Amino acid sequence: MSETQPSEIILVFASNTRILLAEELLEEGDLPYELIPVPKEVNPNCGLALSFSESDEGLIMPALHHADLWPEQAYLRKGEQFSELSLERPKG
Amino acid sequence: MIYLDNAATSWPKPPEVLDAVAKALAAPASPGRSGHRPAHEASKLIHKARRRIQGLFGLPSPERVSFAANVTWAINEAIEGFGLKEGDLVISSALEHNSTARPLSRLRAQKGIVWKIVPPRGDGLLHAGDFKDAMGPKLRLIVINHASNVTGALAPVKEIRAQAGDVPMLLDAAQTAGAVPMEDIGQICDIVCFTGHKGLLGPTGTGGLWVREGIELRPLAVGGSGSKSESLTHPDFMPDRLEAGTLNTHGLAGLAAGIDYILQRGVQDIRAHESGLTRLFLERLSGIPGLRVLGPQLGEVRRVATVSVTLDGWSSSDIARELEATGGIMIRSGLHCAPLAHEAMGTFPGGAARFSFGPFSQESDIVAAADALKGLSSRKRPGTQGANAQGRA
Repeated sequence: MSETQPSEIILVFASNTRILLAEELLEEGDLPYELIPVPKEVNPNCGLALSFSESDEGLIMPALHHADLWPEQAYLRKGEQFSELSLERPKG
Repeated sequence: MIYLDNAATSWPKPPEVLDAVAKALAAPASPGRSGHRPAHEASKLIHKARRRIQGLFGLPSPERVSFAANVTWAINEAIEGFGLKEGDLVISSALEHNSTARPLSRLRAQKGIVWKIVPPRGDGLLHAGDFKDAMGPKLRLIVINHASNVTGALAPVKEIRAQAGDVPMLLDAAQTAGAVPMEDIGQICDIVCFTGHKGLLGPTGTGGLWVREGIELRPLAVGGSGSKSESLTHPDFMPDRLEAGTLNTHGLAGLAAGIDYILQRGVQDIRAHESGLTRLFLERLSGIPGLRVLGPQLGEVRRVATVSVTLDGWSSSDIARELEATGGIMIRSGLHCAPLAHEAMGTFPGGAARFSFGPFSQESDIVAAADALKGLSSRKRPGTQGANAQGRA
């Protein structure tokens, strides 16, 4: 990934079922996302992670919160750099 | 062939089930194990099956549905998973299949649990008051076969729930899922175990259990789950908690297709169809000399489409043999893996001849089977003097 690419948010969920529930939710809401192999830089699991543009965070994170589909880990990826994000759930 | 052994496994399967299995088997499938597209597609097939079980049982979420190889595994997982100790009381009915009776018997022998068995009354039915009488302060679990695979008797699940307070209730839905409306079962029971290849019209090798939030069973097997790979401890969250090893993707794809068929046709429609066939069968059996119907009789609606009979002068195996040889009618003889039920019915160890109908059974099948039984009653079994053969090993 080059430095010029936009930043993306990567969410890791506890189970594969949670990923699929999140996928259903985002499909129903017509929200933009991508399922990618879990980046080995952040997590040793071999399944899928949810990826979306940082600019869509305000749409997707509240949707996951309201559906009780909160991830286990969240990262911001800029190029080759990963930084862990706070996962404090919104109130309400 | 006239196939009347749907309580063993349903046949035929809807064509959509065969298509779904073949399509899934033709694709790479490692659900939840890789990040590529085919793995994701396989995961979606499993997830679809979870959603269908959720819909059929009216569950709040698919997340607490774990799949297994069959209902026997699921029941073992549930019974063993409670971690029962010496002196703990478990109540079941006498109409349980060995998938329940054997794990309870082993726990009684090895752990010293107390296992009380509630028999049916003279009408062949279980009564909730008898369960209440069996309860005690150390009651930890109630296990109920939703419908007997021998007599077809339906258990009074709601009434037992009303007596049980907050004691966990485990339902064996092997004979009812797909055949009896169960959209509120998640509000009545705490654990529901199901098989995929009977009323749900899926392939063998599929089954599972739903476990209510708040009950965390100790898994029978641990291993690969595709999650928490960095840890040597198996995940503690559902459904992974009770799913070790790669799932039967093509089987579960077929199961989802089977449930799709059921939901499209309607469980009520299937129930009405099978009830009508059962009533017709019982009507045509009445008056056959020497024939006894086990359990619920004609007019009793608290039953499913499984009817077991004995016939004076004929062993259950010879009935099955003659019906296949002379009429191409497939039924099941013997004890049906339910010795306690046969003891309760007075048909142990000779067993009975069991006829079980399905969504695709026809009236002509039922008439042929009843006529065949009538024909047997009018002649002696070859090589016998016509004595009652029940009780022969």
